[in-house]
Amino acid sequence: MNTSFATLRSTLLLAVVVAAVGCGKTPPASFRLNMVQATKTAAPESGMEKPWAAWASERQGQVATILEAMYGTPDEPVALAETGLDLAKLQLAAGPVRSDIVGRKNGLYREHCVHCHGISGDGMGPTAAFLNPYPRDYRPGKYKFKGTWRDARPAREDLTRVLHEGVPGSSMPSFALLPPAQVDALVEYVRYLSMRGETELALYTYAEQELGVDDTLPTTKEFLVDEILTPIVEKWQGAEDARIPIASVPTNVDFTKPGDDPANRESVARGRVLFHGDGGCVKCHGVTALGDGQANDYDDWNKVIVEWSKEVSGGLGSAQDDAGRSAWLHAAADVIEGDALRPRTIPPRNLRLGLYRGGRRPVDLYRRLYTGINGAPMPGVGPSGPGGKGSVADAEIWHIVNYIRSLPYEFDGELGADRPMVAKDRF
Amino acid sequence: MGKRLAGIFWSLLFLAVPVLGVATFAIAPAYDHWLPKDVSEHGASIDSLFYFILALTGVVFVVTEVLLFWFMWKYDESKRQGEATYIQGSHTLEVVWTIIPAATLLFLAIYQMNAWADVKMRRPAMSPTVEVVARQFEWRLRYPGRDGTLGTADDLFLVNDLHLPIDEDVLVQLKSMDVLHSFFLPNVRIKQDAVPGMKIPVWFKAREAGSYDIVCAELCGWGHYKMKGRVTFETRAEFDAWLERKYAEQGATQPPPEAADVAAAE
Repeated sequence: MNTSFATLRSTLLLAVVVAAVGCGKTPPASFRLNMVQATKTAAPESGMEKPWAAWASERQGQVATILEAMYGTPDEPVALAETGLDLAKLQLAAGPVRSDIVGRKNGLYREHCVHCHGISGDGMGPTAAFLNPYPRDYRPGKYKFKGTWRDARPAREDLTRVLHEGVPGSSMPSFALLPPAQVDALVEYVRYLSMRGETELALYTYAEQELGVDDTLPTTKEFLVDEILTPIVEKWQGAEDARIPIASVPTNVDFTKPGDDPANRESVARGRVLFHGDGGCVKCHGVTALGDGQANDYDDWNKVIVEWSKEVSGGLGSAQDDAGRSAWLHAAADVIEGDALRPRTIPPRNLRLGLYRGGRRPVDLYRRLYTGINGAPMPGVGPSGPGGKGSVADAEIWHIVNYIRSLPYEFDGELGADRPMVAKDRF
Repeated sequence: MGKRLAGIFWSLLFLAVPVLGVATFAIAPAYDHWLPKDVSEHGASIDSLFYFILALTGVVFVVTEVLLFWFMWKYDESKRQGEATYIQGSHTLEVVWTIIPAATLLFLAIYQMNAWADVKMRRPAMSPTVEVVARQFEWRLRYPGRDGTLGTADDLFLVNDLHLPIDEDVLVQLKSMDVLHSFFLPNVRIKQDAVPGMKIPVWFKAREAGSYDIVCAELCGWGHYKMKGRVTFETRAEFDAWLERKYAEQGATQPPPEAADVAAAE
C-alpha cells in the first residue's frame, strides 16, 4: 500500500462521513409571536409582585401555548373544524419545500412567499426590510385589493386574483403560471395565517381589558372557540357575501375607446369635475394627479408603530421612578427597534404612470374608488355599507374611472407629436 | 512495485477523462439532456455553429487528453532510467501552435458573422409586436393593442404569459424595470440581456406552434431561479382570437361570473 492510495482513500472516507453526518441540524420552524402587540398590550399594573419582564413572558407563554393548540406549527398546521379551513390545502402549503410520495410539490408557502411575508405571515421575512412598500402583514386580517366592503375580509377570489396578477408597482410578483391547485392552497394558507394572527390579537386585547394581574387566560372551549374564534371566522366566511354592488356603466362611457375619443369626451369631462370636486381626489393625488398632494400619511400597519413609538419615547423620560413601567417602556423600545420595520409613509399614487396596483380593469378601479383602500388613507366615494349613501352616486363613479384611465395618455390627443417628453418615453 | 502501480493508476485516471467525457456526450441525447427543441427559423444556423465548434473542440480535447495519458504512461517515474534531458524549447513548434489556433479563431469569427447579423443586426422593419419588461421576478408584457402603437390608451397589459404568432417576424421590445435580467427563450435560440434604461429590440420567427419556457438567464436577485414565464406560439388566427379575449378581460366592467354561478345558470 503506498501513500497515494492511502491519501485517496482517506479523502474519500472523509467525504462520505461529511455527507452522511451533515454540518448540523436545523431546528423545526416555529411561529413568532406578534411582539409589537404582545408588548403594547402588556402595560404593568399596580399590585404586580413579579418583575415586569417575568410577568410579561409568562403571559406570552400562555398565548403561544393556546395558539399552538389551535393552529399547530408551521410544519404541522392544525385546522379546527370551526375555522372551516381545509387541512389538506394547508398541508400542501405548509412545511419545508419537498415532494410527497406521488411527486406532488409541498411546502409552497416556503418556496414562494416566506422570504418576504415571513414564517408567521407578519410581512417581516428576510427580504422585507429592503422593499418599498413593505410586504403585507397578514395578521390584522386587512387586505387592500378586493371586491368586498371596506372593512370586510377579502373573498377567496380576491386573494386568488392578487396571486395571479401580482401587484405591479410593489415587489409582489405574479404567480399566474402556478397550477390552480397550488394557488388555492396558498390562498387557504394566507387565510389560515390571517385567522391565526387575528386570534393572537384578540387574546392580547382580552388579556389587556379583562384580566387582572394574577389571572391567566382561560383555556376552555367556550372562551377560545365561542368568544375568540367565532367572531373572526364569521368575518372570513361572510366575505363571500360581502361583495359591493357594481352599478351598470352609463351609456356615454365606452371603455374600449381612449379617453379623448368623442364617445368618451363628455364622460371624461364629468369625471374630471368629480375628481376635483365631490370625489375629493385632489387632496392627496394633487390637482395634476401626479400624487403630489398630501404625502406624509402612513398606512394602518405602519401607523401602529409610528403612534406607539411616540408614546414610548414620550413615556421613557417620565418613568424613572417606576421600575415596572420603566422595564415595560424599555422593552417596548427594543421591540420597535428589533421586531418591527422602520415606518414608511405611504405616498398617494401618481395616476399618470398607468400603473395600477390592484389591477387596471375598469371594475378594479371602480372597486378602489367605491370602498377606498382598506388599511390605506384612501377613502371611498361610495357608501360605507349596504344601503348607505356615498359622496358620489354609484353610476357616476364610472366617469371618475374613465377620467383616471385617460390620465396617462392625456397629452397624446391634444398635443400629438409635440407633447413634452416624459421619462416614460425615454426608456 | 508500489510506485509502478501508482503510475498506472494516475495514467488510467487521466485516460478516464476523455473516455467519460466523450461517453457523456454520446449518451446525453438518449436521456433528453441535449439541446432543447428548436422551433425558430434562425435556430438551425446557431445549432450548426454549436455542432461545428463542438466537433472542433472535441477533436482537440480528445487528442490533448490522449497525449496527456500517453506521456504519463510512457515517462512514468518508476520506468525512468538515468537523468532527464534538458531542452530549450522549439521555436518552430511554438509558432505552429500559435498560428493554428489563431487561424481557427479568425475563421470562426468570420464564419459566424452571418448568423450573428441575422439575430442581432438585420432587424425587420416593423413596430414592436410586444414589449417585454423584466422585473424582479416576473415578465410584464404590453401589447400595442388595436392601433398597433405602444404607449397609447388601448395597450394590452399582461404578465408572464406571452403569446406570439408563428410563421411571421415578431419584434420584441425588451426593457428592464430594475436590474439586469436576461430574456432567454431556449426553444427559439434567443438570449438577450435586459438592461435598465435601454430599449433593446429582439426579433425571430417561430415555425411551430407550442408552449415553451421563458427563463431569466442573468442572476437578478433572490428569486432569479423562479423568474419563469411561458411563451405560446400559435397561428395568426388563434393569436388574434387570444388577443381579443384578453382585451375583453382587461376591459371588464363586472367581475367574471364565478364557476358556481355559471354552473347554476346552465
